[in-house]
Amino acid sequence: MSEYRVSGRGRIDTAQPVSFTFDGATYRGFKGDTVASALLANGVHLMGRSFKYHRPRGAVAAGSEEPNALIGTRRGAGRFEPNTRATVQEIWNGLETSSQNKYPSLKFDVGAVNDAAYMLFSAGFYYKTFMWPKSFWDKVYEPFIRAAAGLGVSPTEEDPDTYASRNLHCDVLIVGAGPSGLAAARAAAAKGVSVVLVDENAEAGGTLLSEPQARIDGKPAWDWLASELAALREMGVRIMTRTTAIGYYHQNMIGLCEKLTDHLAELPADTPRERLWRVRARQVVLAQGALEKPLVFHGNDRPGVMLAGSAQTYLNRYGVLVGKRPVVLTCHDSAWYAAFDLHRAGAKVQAIVDTRGSVREELVSEAKSLGIPVKLSHTASATSGRLRVSSIRVNPVSGNTVGAGEKIACDAVLMSGGWTPSLHLFSHTKGKLAWDDDRTTFLPDVTPEDCVIAGASRGLWGIEAALTDGAEKGRAVADALGVAGNAVAYAVEDDRTGTGVSHKELPTDRSPGKAKAFVDYQNDVTAKDLRLAVREGMRSIEHVKRYTTNGMATDQGKMSNINGLNIASDALGKKQPQVGLTTFRPPYTPTSFGAFAGYHRGAHFELTRKTQIDAWAEENGAVFEPVGQWRRAWYFPKPGEDMDAAVRRECKATRSSVGIFDASTLGKIEVVGPDAVEFMNRMYTNPWTKLAPGRCRYGLLLGDDGYIRDDGVIGRMTEDRFHVTTTTGGAARVLNMMEDYLQTEWPDLNVWLTSTTEQWSTIALNGPNAAKLLQPFVEGVTLTEEAFPHMSCVECTVAGMPARLFRVSFTGEIGFEVNVPAPMGRKLWETLWEAGQQYDITVYGTETMHVLRAEKGYIIVGQDTDGTVTPYDCGMGWAVGKKKPDFVGMRGLARPDLVAEGRKQFVGLLTEDGSKLEEGAQIVFDPKQQIPMTMVGHVTSSYESEEVGQPIALALVQGGQNRMGDTVYIPMPDRTIAAKITSTIFVDPENARLKI
Amino acid sequence: MNAPISSFDPFALVETSAAQVRVASPCGRLSLRARGDLAPLNAALGLTLPEKIGQRVSAGNLEAICLGPDEWKLETETGAVAGIEEACAKVYAELPHALVDISAREATFVIEGVRAAELLTLGCPRDIATIEVGTGRRTVFDGATVLIWRDGESSFRMDVWNSFAPHLFALLDTGCRELAAEAA
Amino acid sequence: MLLIHCPYCEETLPEAEFAHAGQAHIIRPENPSAQTDEEWESFLFIRSNVKGPHYERWRHLHGCGRFFNAVRDTVSDRFLTTYKAGAPRPDLETLTGEVK
Repeated sequence: MSEYRVSGRGRIDTAQPVSFTFDGATYRGFKGDTVASALLANGVHLMGRSFKYHRPRGAVAAGSEEPNALIGTRRGAGRFEPNTRATVQEIWNGLETSSQNKYPSLKFDVGAVNDAAYMLFSAGFYYKTFMWPKSFWDKVYEPFIRAAAGLGVSPTEEDPDTYASRNLHCDVLIVGAGPSGLAAARAAAAKGVSVVLVDENAEAGGTLLSEPQARIDGKPAWDWLASELAALREMGVRIMTRTTAIGYYHQNMIGLCEKLTDHLAELPADTPRERLWRVRARQVVLAQGALEKPLVFHGNDRPGVMLAGSAQTYLNRYGVLVGKRPVVLTCHDSAWYAAFDLHRAGAKVQAIVDTRGSVREELVSEAKSLGIPVKLSHTASATSGRLRVSSIRVNPVSGNTVGAGEKIACDAVLMSGGWTPSLHLFSHTKGKLAWDDDRTTFLPDVTPEDCVIAGASRGLWGIEAALTDGAEKGRAVADALGVAGNAVAYAVEDDRTGTGVSHKELPTDRSPGKAKAFVDYQNDVTAKDLRLAVREGMRSIEHVKRYTTNGMATDQGKMSNINGLNIASDALGKKQPQVGLTTFRPPYTPTSFGAFAGYHRGAHFELTRKTQIDAWAEENGAVFEPVGQWRRAWYFPKPGEDMDAAVRRECKATRSSVGIFDASTLGKIEVVGPDAVEFMNRMYTNPWTKLAPGRCRYGLLLGDDGYIRDDGVIGRMTEDRFHVTTTTGGAARVLNMMEDYLQTEWPDLNVWLTSTTEQWSTIALNGPNAAKLLQPFVEGVTLTEEAFPHMSCVECTVAGMPARLFRVSFTGEIGFEVNVPAPMGRKLWETLWEAGQQYDITVYGTETMHVLRAEKGYIIVGQDTDGTVTPYDCGMGWAVGKKKPDFVGMRGLARPDLVAEGRKQFVGLLTEDGSKLEEGAQIVFDPKQQIPMTMVGHVTSSYESEEVGQPIALALVQGGQNRMGDTVYIPMPDRTIAAKITSTIFVDPENARLKI
Repeated sequence: MNAPISSFDPFALVETSAAQVRVASPCGRLSLRARGDLAPLNAALGLTLPEKIGQRVSAGNLEAICLGPDEWKLETETGAVAGIEEACAKVYAELPHALVDISAREATFVIEGVRAAELLTLGCPRDIATIEVGTGRRTVFDGATVLIWRDGESSFRMDVWNSFAPHLFALLDTGCRELAAEAA
Repeated sequence: MLLIHCPYCEETLPEAEFAHAGQAHIIRPENPSAQTDEEWESFLFIRSNVKGPHYERWRHLHGCGRFFNAVRDTVSDRFLTTYKAGAPRPDLETLTGEVK
């Protein structure tokens, strides 16, 4: 047994010893210990250094509210987590832990000079110190702040763990499995009601785990707890431990983070480390209990100074005495019980120091009977001890006079500043708080959610009160669900009830200006800092918080908020409710990024859509690029080829013989119904009435503002049926826009839209040999100029597969797009690939497709257009139906700005020096003008062009269509490039190559 | 997993003590859109199209599910699609409608096993319990639109567009293993 | 995440199935070409920025696919009601009265 372990106490399993390391030294504890309880059992209080002053710190609490004892935990490569609370992390054989904020060692830390220079680091010191000179910013201030910022050290390796998420719907969610939560579960769990009970601790029970002396319904508390948990499980209540309710969101959605493996020595297969639950509950019971407040006095942060209730927990739950000669310092009855428990367990309590003048007689007489000296009407003005408290200085207080100090030697100070309800989740609901003057705290008042608060969360004290209230609230939620809850009543013996008072910082006989009386341990905020912030003009509590950093980081006000408020309101001369509380924000406790990412990492990071031909492309060495949600083959390099070489080869082969391209990702929408043509007339700029079945046309889609939204070839399959294609990235957006107009503006039209993008695999063949290659496979149509001219479409059979065949070209060569039922795509692809070998068929990717279309001046919506470009800007007035009464965008095209002179227009560019322009580069008319220059446009597309013999570019240039032959300039960082404005069509302007 | 859906084998893709997922054999699927008095279409199809979203009706080898106020999905044998198109075409003049063959658009995962319903909660935010046995719903699973058919308490089918299948299967696969490990 | 009642499916479902679609009751004019520049500008671009109950459109994107209208309080983020496209604008006072 370790020195401070009390045999026969606690819930640890002494049959299962566990060894772990802390800063390299090996310690022993037992299964059921946390890192903090095991270290304390070994007499180790010093667990970390504070963030700003690097002051030595120990555990001040025993639960998730711990601000000081933040450690790094390690489990082999990649599994390192900083800022884990030692009070929560369970130990297992082989666990490696380390302290933070220290160099070179925890016991001797050079950063502690900050502590000596603490006058420099007062409230708002960042704002005051790093002001001038300006030149210091880059070299001195920023590196300093960056080095000092942040708690702990980030992990550097990829996390090998997996994370999970799940949705859960239930009737009742109860947060907190202490007495009130357990009673609420029992009362609410009527037949047919699904109840979920969650607790952040390793085991359910809450306060009961720290108060084994109580007897409930005649049974010792722990026996009652065991049988109650078994009964609840029997009733179908789902009990989840190590599960923290991190946030309360709209309409009773609660986020839960369940930790599944951090307490295990061996990681089980297929088990995620953490799981994020999104719970939607019809009713929520918040039974989170209360948090004990520290007392604010000089030296209240020395290792060994801790909350009295936590000391009680270490003793009763873990069998650990946090000190052998503790002093208890309190303003609340609860700490007296802690003193009695420790004293009876073998500690010699040096004194109970209470700030109050009178205390319940039974407590005083029990102290006397145990031989514990009692000092009422006393304050604490200092502690001493370098790395562990060795004495406390206490002074009698009479009225406003603080008497002479007296030093009491001790090895621990157990303090209690009273209790504050845990209001965090309630506050997430935008619930209103009500100030309770008697208890000097805020209590939950009204919330817009279907949520009730039970037990200590609403200021009730004692196990019986919590059980009774929990049962009442459990029945209330059952009522709200329209079922009769279970009637339960509880009788509790040896219950510990009590009262107390609340304080701002404790009075002292020394200069308060020199006191290091901490309010927020984690951020090193003292009472003096809060008062300084008010003196310097901060009036709102939110400003005080930001100026001082009180209640920030992982604390989120758990320990500091009410003490901070009491001090700030005193400094402001206002009552607390007039000052108000800062916002509690989710998550309740720090939550890993992994938990939020869930399954979405690595290969599953985001949804990636793949075509039926994707696997062939991968087998054939394609390099891929993402286009919308799709991954598309970008180019197909042969061994030794870079991208430029591959694209050059692919372009040349397509223009000289035949290229094959997977166009399956093109959006496809089937427009069907008697009013199909009317709908098309209204949606697209083009006229559709005269388009005969079997013919297709390039369609342009605008928004009602007159700007281009999408484009694509549209075939009229029959009188009432159109096969619309959209851009790859625009498919969902276009269908949504069409549905919007159809459902809400023109509900009278008899026409319906069906997405057929994935019905078809689409294979494009382009090049002078395309028809020759395809013809032998086609039944039902002859691929001649007469029988199947350019811009035709037909239902036929290709290689025995039912097909929709389009004769279209996005390359300027003879082109076909063969649509076959999607799963047949790869078979057709391989058939054409094999037959194409006689023509040296070449597969090309999206990059070659881009080059070939740019050589013909075809736009890519979203690359050459940016949402401010009209058909006329693009020289595509020919696509706008002039005789139609209306179409989407028609009125928009007549807006004053859209018909004004000097709009940016789509042109070609050829550089004078033959260099390739950069896409996005800005264009000017006069390169000699003063900076900032007047920018008149930009390059939208730019490629090497084997066919043209020099790089080509497309651009939007002010008034460009009237500037053919003019020279414009593209200033780059190293030089200015001159380019001539040309037509957008660089290859075959007569379209001679389209002819078979 | 890179394989496109057409290359999945029809046997179980993953099977654990919690659930199994396999791909259903190909079938005929049609999207039907119409409004007004549906009598002509009912006669042509030989069943009464359900008018409550999520409801299903079947007759012989044809099953219809209502997906929207004017939308149904028809499922049948692969060879029966042409016959349905023909029958509906005959009543087109009387009741204009849209009938589109979407047989090749999607694949179906059959999801069964003691924890099949819970497996769906990994990616589906809606309460699976509200999809009664014998009904179905279009909903979202891990970011993709899917159609879930509930054939039994622990027996589901999930229709997904081909290109989403590898991504969605990856999650179902992870989930089957995770749920099985949880029970162990 | 909000819960939204789809007036077509008659079910209350998670927000993830829906897509927001802007302000409601903005009607595209019968004959846009007859609109003045100011009228057309107003139709295209001018929207209210309400603090409180707001008429807006949603689409049950991953469900029935229908666009519908809603009144949502932009302060509390609560839906006061949802109703089918084409249905008349519900009276705000009745709605907010019911809520209070």
